[in-house]
Amino acid sequence: MRRQPQDRVSRFVDDLLKRRRPARFRATSEELEALTAATELAPLKAGVDLPDPRFVARLEDRLRQQLEDPPARSRVWSRRGLLQAAGAAAAAAVVGVTVDRTILNPTGPASESGPLVPNAAQWRPVAALSELPAGKARTFSTGAVQGVIVNDNGKIRALSRVCTHLGCVLQPNVESRSLDCPCHRTVFAWDGSVDRHQLPSRPARLPTIESRVREGQIEVLVV
Amino acid sequence: MGENSQSEAIDEPPSSGKAFLRVVDGRTYQDWEAVYRDNVVGIYHLVFRRVGNPPDAEDLCEEVLLQALRRLRLPAPVHEVRAYLVKTARTVLAEHWRRHYAGGGAEVNIDQMVIKNPSSGDFPEESSATSERAMRILALLPDRFRQVLELRFLRGYSVAEAAREMGVSDSNAKVLQYRALRKAAQVAGELAP
Repeated sequence: MRRQPQDRVSRFVDDLLKRRRPARFRATSEELEALTAATELAPLKAGVDLPDPRFVARLEDRLRQQLEDPPARSRVWSRRGLLQAAGAAAAAAVVGVTVDRTILNPTGPASESGPLVPNAAQWRPVAALSELPAGKARTFSTGAVQGVIVNDNGKIRALSRVCTHLGCVLQPNVESRSLDCPCHRTVFAWDGSVDRHQLPSRPARLPTIESRVREGQIEVLVV
Repeated sequence: MGENSQSEAIDEPPSSGKAFLRVVDGRTYQDWEAVYRDNVVGIYHLVFRRVGNPPDAEDLCEEVLLQALRRLRLPAPVHEVRAYLVKTARTVLAEHWRRHYAGGGAEVNIDQMVIKNPSSGDFPEESSATSERAMRILALLPDRFRQVLELRFLRGYSVAEAAREMGVSDSNAKVLQYRALRKAAQVAGELAP
């Protein structure tokens, strides 16, 4: 039985949703129209992808082989280099935080990658320690970075306040000690881990932002 | 900077934004590595939005950069390099769609349908803009169309699950999805890039 256009297009969508290369087929103009719309909608599920950092490094090596006469030498990307590579897309430092998490630590959650240290970051005071007793949270914004500082049983921690799913700004919930996404009921714990969600796939944990207490002030390392 | 002492409102720092991430000094790329580092993510995004999956996006990103970097004469102004990258991306994307999906009558439309938007003026695209645009497209669709696409693309439902949720048969859900996507393509074409 010959497949109908709606079957072919549906299979194409299935492949996109599974993040795999879709089957090729001879499309009519109407089908092509549907396929192009599907490619635009595909990032809705997984968020917008950054390239796999291993791909970015591998491609640079391959380009070097192709573009330069001397044989390629394997190159280890520096943290700075990766941030610079990501810079083109990191229009907002919020995105930069995600870049840091995604590019620098492809295999593990954000907290294992160490905090974000952007090139031009500065320690900036965001609250007096006395303003953040245990169990409290305060939001901050540098214009570029949307963050939150929490006092989690005496431990001061700073996190990105941007949901790793679609970028909605999270709301601190002091009662449940969580950061709640207003868009899709995703809830992050105060250590940045995903507490619960209703998404088809588990979103990444929240990137941490480096913080310290100095002379009674809580400071975060941001741009 | 750094003088602010209260949370809730650290105002815009004097020089926040992209500057610290730039690999180039001024507005000229000196070598291919600078071009690469400054644009690889942007090209990947541009391509990803038009193929919708990582394996194809990686292959085409490589093809674009390899083609463009072979031909570029450096040093060159940033805006010229980016214009050339975008132009190369258009060609590579059109070829991709033509090679893999043409033959059923879609040949004539490939250029205008697939590659309509990219221009050097909006490159690199902001990553958040892609999701926002997709949400805007959904918001402009009639209810049933929006519903089926939300179930599929936002919630990741299978066709069978979406059909159950909507109270229709699987084959009806596929037809609805097909029509909804065609409508979405028209809506997308009317939106600014």
